[in-house]
Amino acid sequence: MRAARNNGLGGGRPGEGAGIANLLFVIPALTLYALFVLWPLAASLYYSLTDWDGIGQPRWVGLANFARAFDDDIHLASYLHVTLYILGTLVFEVSFGLVMAVLLNSDRPGFALLRGLFFSPVVLSMSAAGVLWTFVFDYRTGLVNAMLKGMGLSDWAQPWLSQPATALLCVMLVSGWKFAGFYMILFFAALRRIPRSLYEAATLEGAGPLRQFFSITLPLLKQNILICGLLAVTGGFAGFDLFFTMTNGQPYNTTEVPVTWIVKMGFDSDQLGYGIALTVILTVVVSLISLLYLRFAERSHAVEY
Amino acid sequence: MGLRAGLRSLAIGLIAGAAFGAAALAFGQGAGAEPVEIRITHSITGGTQKDALDGIIADFEKANPDIKVKQVVFDDDQYSDTGLITQLKSSTPPDIYFQWAGFPMQRDAKEGFAKDISAEMDAGGWKDSFLPSVWSPSMGMLYEGHPYLVPMTLDITNVIWFNKKTFAENGLKEPATWDDFMAAVKILAAKGETPIVIGNQELWPLGNWASHIASRVVEPAHYDAAFKLQEPFNQPGFEKALTLIDDLRKAGAFNKDIAGLGADPAMSTFFQEAAAMHPIGSWLVPSANEMAEKDFDYGVFNTPLIDPANPTKDSVIGTATGFAVHAKSAYPKEAIAFLKFFTQLDNQVKWAEAGSFSPVKGAMDKAKLDDKTKQMADMLSNAGSLVPPPDTTYPVAVAESYYQAAAYVAGGEKSPKDALVWLDDHVKGMK
Repeated sequence: MRAARNNGLGGGRPGEGAGIANLLFVIPALTLYALFVLWPLAASLYYSLTDWDGIGQPRWVGLANFARAFDDDIHLASYLHVTLYILGTLVFEVSFGLVMAVLLNSDRPGFALLRGLFFSPVVLSMSAAGVLWTFVFDYRTGLVNAMLKGMGLSDWAQPWLSQPATALLCVMLVSGWKFAGFYMILFFAALRRIPRSLYEAATLEGAGPLRQFFSITLPLLKQNILICGLLAVTGGFAGFDLFFTMTNGQPYNTTEVPVTWIVKMGFDSDQLGYGIALTVILTVVVSLISLLYLRFAERSHAVEY
Repeated sequence: MGLRAGLRSLAIGLIAGAAFGAAALAFGQGAGAEPVEIRITHSITGGTQKDALDGIIADFEKANPDIKVKQVVFDDDQYSDTGLITQLKSSTPPDIYFQWAGFPMQRDAKEGFAKDISAEMDAGGWKDSFLPSVWSPSMGMLYEGHPYLVPMTLDITNVIWFNKKTFAENGLKEPATWDDFMAAVKILAAKGETPIVIGNQELWPLGNWASHIASRVVEPAHYDAAFKLQEPFNQPGFEKALTLIDDLRKAGAFNKDIAGLGADPAMSTFFQEAAAMHPIGSWLVPSANEMAEKDFDYGVFNTPLIDPANPTKDSVIGTATGFAVHAKSAYPKEAIAFLKFFTQLDNQVKWAEAGSFSPVKGAMDKAKLDDKTKQMADMLSNAGSLVPPPDTTYPVAVAESYYQAAAYVAGGEKSPKDALVWLDDHVKGMK
């Protein structure tokens, strides 16, 4: 028994050696975690309390950057814009992806190809997609306005990316085009796990496709929908590439989202200290929302089948 | 094999290996050392300027076989945002780097990135080979009286380019005063033309012009104080400047997509004759050589006279750029040798013929310049003063905020007064 207990390094009290040995095993991982997570986090917190241009010596300013952030109208508005964008992604990406997954959930010939086509924008880089769609929405030479003019609807031609009423909507649409296929694949995989017998029984009971969707499909996909929602929300807060390539925050800062504003402040305007303070705020906001969302998701009951 | 025999074999092997290595090293040295590689980083990605720079580098390498020049090239925005900073702070910084005069160069000098080249400039009269005006304090080439930048180009950051055919068809000529300019805009707008195209997605294209307009109507001391945040922007001079932009908007001067269009697509729009005028810098000339149709005929004029009483009434807005030698360069002697070669008169003639305004004495006179470059050179020579753009003179965040205020007015989003109120409120946290 004693030999069994004393399985660590050296003697000492029971369990003491094992603790040291365990510590030795986790030291490499802890070191990496400290180097690449804890240290940058601590450094960020420090720099957020300084006036620093990224080149010279940082100057301690206490909480001044945070006070400025809460008085910065463009920064505050960027949270409204990203909220609207996230709501848009829930519609154009998650909801549309779910609908497409249900519609394309078939083994009939051609459906696999359709799913592949619908998924294909996912493999394109965000920046490339943004630049391509900028050409499509161009006021003078873009495809959208050319089509409208071709249909005799010249008055409908708009500077889509240059007016506050349409710019954010355009970014949402492109985001939907880009990511709906991703959510479709997630939902499609989940749909395949729902037993066919449930649908057969429902059909025998006289339930139509809509009733089956709301009474069987949707409840059984609840957990997947919650996960996809979380991905859309956290991904939305990190949104940058499309905004950067399509509008760069314009027109008149109406498509400015937290990350584009952080990049502008940190790099374009040489205010890295302020930019890092904005990053700290964004981290706190996203963490809080994620925690609340997960808490909500845990409370909701998964349907067993 | 016993342990001792094994150790002996190992020792013999090591000695033989070391001897062979030393011999190989000696042979290598005898056969001629590897050329020294100096690295130069800049943002000239294409066009005739890049061709000229490539040619000068090739000639330098031919004349100096012991030195190789490696170019590290970034897109303009990428270079100024992160590309240069990352390189300057790296453990192997570039030997030579492109930089704007004024605030950026002075910051580099202060932080110890740029090398003080006073001694090199004084030796052999190198400093005197440049135009004397380059070394005036307002050009921002000096830090605490010492040169840190080898002058490379003088850039006019905003003039108004116009389509000669469109002007002729509408009976227009280069306007001399702001009233003439407004009249021309109204005539063009009434004919269904787009009088002015600006791609203001990044704010600086209109912002540069708006600050030049402001410098023409605001007293220089107030202009300077406002950008240094020592005075509010909301004062009559700046309101008048933004009102001039508002007048243009009301006259239908701007393209409908001004707020979302990029700077390059706006230039293409001008080259494709879809707009009569395009306010942008002197770099349009090399771009036109590359992108515009051969028969595209265009001219240029400076921002017309606005207020005859203003001391900078006939100013040109522009800045100087140059090459700095990194203070930690491993090869400062070779870097200086290249920069001396680059600024030799014969090479500067090539540089000028590529569409650059050379700061070297005599280069512009000797070069066979196209009409446009000649016009720009004359404009610079005849200007009463040179106004530097705010984003190379004052804190960038303040300059960008003024550019944003101008964008609000040009798009009709805010009145001049409201834009200035917004501006003062927005910059108060930057003090």
